[in-house]
Amino acid sequence: MKFFEKLMKIDRRIIYLILALVVIIPFLRPFLIHPRAMPPVENLYNHIDSIPQDKALVISVDYTPDTEPELQPMTIALLRHAFARRVKVGVLCLGVLGLGLAENALTQVANEFNRRATTQADSIIYGRDYVFWGWQTPALTVILGMGERISKVFSVDYYGNKTETLPMMQKIKNYNNVGIIVSVSASATPLWYITYAQTSFGVKVGIASTAVQAADMYPYLNSGQATGLLSGMKGGAEYEELVQTRLGITGRRRATEAMAAQTSAHFTIIAFIIIGNIGFFVLRRRKK
Amino acid sequence: MSGEPWIWISAILTLAIFSFLYKENPFYRFGEHLFVGVANGYSITFMWHRILVPALINPVSHGQKLWLIGVAFIGALYFTRFIPRISWLVRIPIALVMGYSSGAYIPRGIDAGIIEQTRATVVTRASFINWQQGIWAILILLGVVATVSYFFFSRERKGILKPLSYIGIVFIMLGFGASFGYSVMARISLFIGRIQFLLRDWLGIIH
Amino acid sequence: MKRRIPLAIVFIFGVLGAIPFLVPHRIIQDADNEFRNSVLRIIVAFSLVLGVGSIIRHHYEKIRRKRENWQYSYVTLISLVITAIIGLFGGIEANGILPTRFLVPFTKYTFHFDIQTLYTNIMVPLGATMFSLLAFFMTSAAYRAFRARNIEATILLFSAFVVMLAAVPLVSRVFPKLSFFSEWILTVPNTAAKRGLGFGIALGSMATSLKIILGIERGWLGGTQ
Repeated sequence: MKFFEKLMKIDRRIIYLILALVVIIPFLRPFLIHPRAMPPVENLYNHIDSIPQDKALVISVDYTPDTEPELQPMTIALLRHAFARRVKVGVLCLGVLGLGLAENALTQVANEFNRRATTQADSIIYGRDYVFWGWQTPALTVILGMGERISKVFSVDYYGNKTETLPMMQKIKNYNNVGIIVSVSASATPLWYITYAQTSFGVKVGIASTAVQAADMYPYLNSGQATGLLSGMKGGAEYEELVQTRLGITGRRRATEAMAAQTSAHFTIIAFIIIGNIGFFVLRRRKK
Repeated sequence: MSGEPWIWISAILTLAIFSFLYKENPFYRFGEHLFVGVANGYSITFMWHRILVPALINPVSHGQKLWLIGVAFIGALYFTRFIPRISWLVRIPIALVMGYSSGAYIPRGIDAGIIEQTRATVVTRASFINWQQGIWAILILLGVVATVSYFFFSRERKGILKPLSYIGIVFIMLGFGASFGYSVMARISLFIGRIQFLLRDWLGIIH
Repeated sequence: MKRRIPLAIVFIFGVLGAIPFLVPHRIIQDADNEFRNSVLRIIVAFSLVLGVGSIIRHHYEKIRRKRENWQYSYVTLISLVITAIIGLFGGIEANGILPTRFLVPFTKYTFHFDIQTLYTNIMVPLGATMFSLLAFFMTSAAYRAFRARNIEATILLFSAFVVMLAAVPLVSRVFPKLSFFSEWILTVPNTAAKRGLGFGIALGSMATSLKIILGIERGWLGGTQ
């Protein structure tokens, strides 16, 4: 019985050390596990895949450095998909702290494609194929204003260019020219798009959220208000898998690389919970 | 191992924050305060270059939309918060923003949060695309009614309300369990991201 | 007057906020857009400036009164000022009047310290690592506190285990039915529960918004004046 008492009072730093080891070790002996895409991920993929050439994909990068490891792989996978299909992309941020992450993702993916491109037509060119609108405040102004005229909300883009002068913006004027808005978010921002943009302008909304928020988004998926849902790193890995297998687009797949470590960590936490419960019941019986 | 100085700075800052797991220490505190400072400096940059300059400074300095000076004056009332004698003036810009936001939310919130969600809950012939979908639709309807009845505290739990509330608890526990399971995945993912950076970008152990 | 004027403003702008949704007339829509793009944007920008000013004031007071850990407030203030100078004068694209790169003597290496570099190499590692600590706290809490004390807690644990196991691709490859069961838990009981909660939240938010507009909710006024 003393064993269980000691086990229940174990120093938390030992628990931390065990968790750290079970996450680090799979990286030292890496193995890729290819995830199977679930229906909410497939739905989003299929919708983006069917965006007509005269409409744009809008990605709202609504996360901060805190949740970068979970959401940045999703943004990158979405950009790879859109660029591979030659869908025009508009990127914005509703929070100022997401700007750097959006810039990093756009630069990385554009460079990946341009390294492989052999002609100008193949290349991803700023202003023609994508525009980074940047950040404006408040979110209400942005979400509702984009229904009227995007270039009035973002008179200058992130880089200081007048938005109206960019070639892509001659065709992409408001939500009527948007195939879907995908809100990549760690908070309730996707619901703002559903509440304001969809009710007023009928635009389709996709959600790419952290796993913490994802379970709360299912009612909107069920009602059809959300067209698809990427949930956490697993959702990101599934989307990466679809982009690579269906379009042949290669590139580093951070979310997929993490799945081995995720597996061992989940098993460890389940083991901790089971051991904790065994100890609890043993000690409770002893006290009786 | 990386030779890029900024990668080393990032790695040292990462380890400084991780040191908190052993014990609170000056390196962690330094990292914490550095983050707040840099984040606010970053915000100031974009606030100036991308909001105040294009929306206010440029139009006014070119003689256009001079009425924006009045708007800026209303915005500047926020700073009366620091002057006790006239601090009540801060309520004016707050009232404007909060009033407009509340008014804009109400009709849209009713549409998106209540009408559409109710429409999705109600079981109709369209719910029975196949028998499975039909049963799940009925279950969802039962679950929603049961969950809402659990939070109905205005009546004593007697009669039909008692078993219905208990069914509500079962649904809520299943929902919260799913949320917890996903939360575990979320938190672990964040840690995995840092390990990927340390092992790949800094130490070069993985490729 | 000090309370009546703000209450009148909140009512007027509350109504003005709701009207454009109900009245699609061009004049109303254009006026609403102009209000949001010009007036609301600038006023909210000032509130963000106030936020930064409050932080500066807080840390300045902390240094002045030598409160606990006051020395670290220097770190916040100095890093804030340096970052703001680099951003304001160096420019967002490192094309401002302040140069933000220099060639390291006797090497071919150019050291950058523009705003984007500071963001990527200081903010991202610090922010991401701070949040990643939650993984450890959650594990420790799950070990110590997550107990199947009764049937309800057991149901919660069961649901959590199914979703956690199905979240890893290895398990869902070996047991595909588990991942479909997990998806069912999310799509049916989870949806029902969250929708029920969502109704309560939506009604509560609407009631609060209405109370603010009608002046019944006055907590935001603050103070006794």
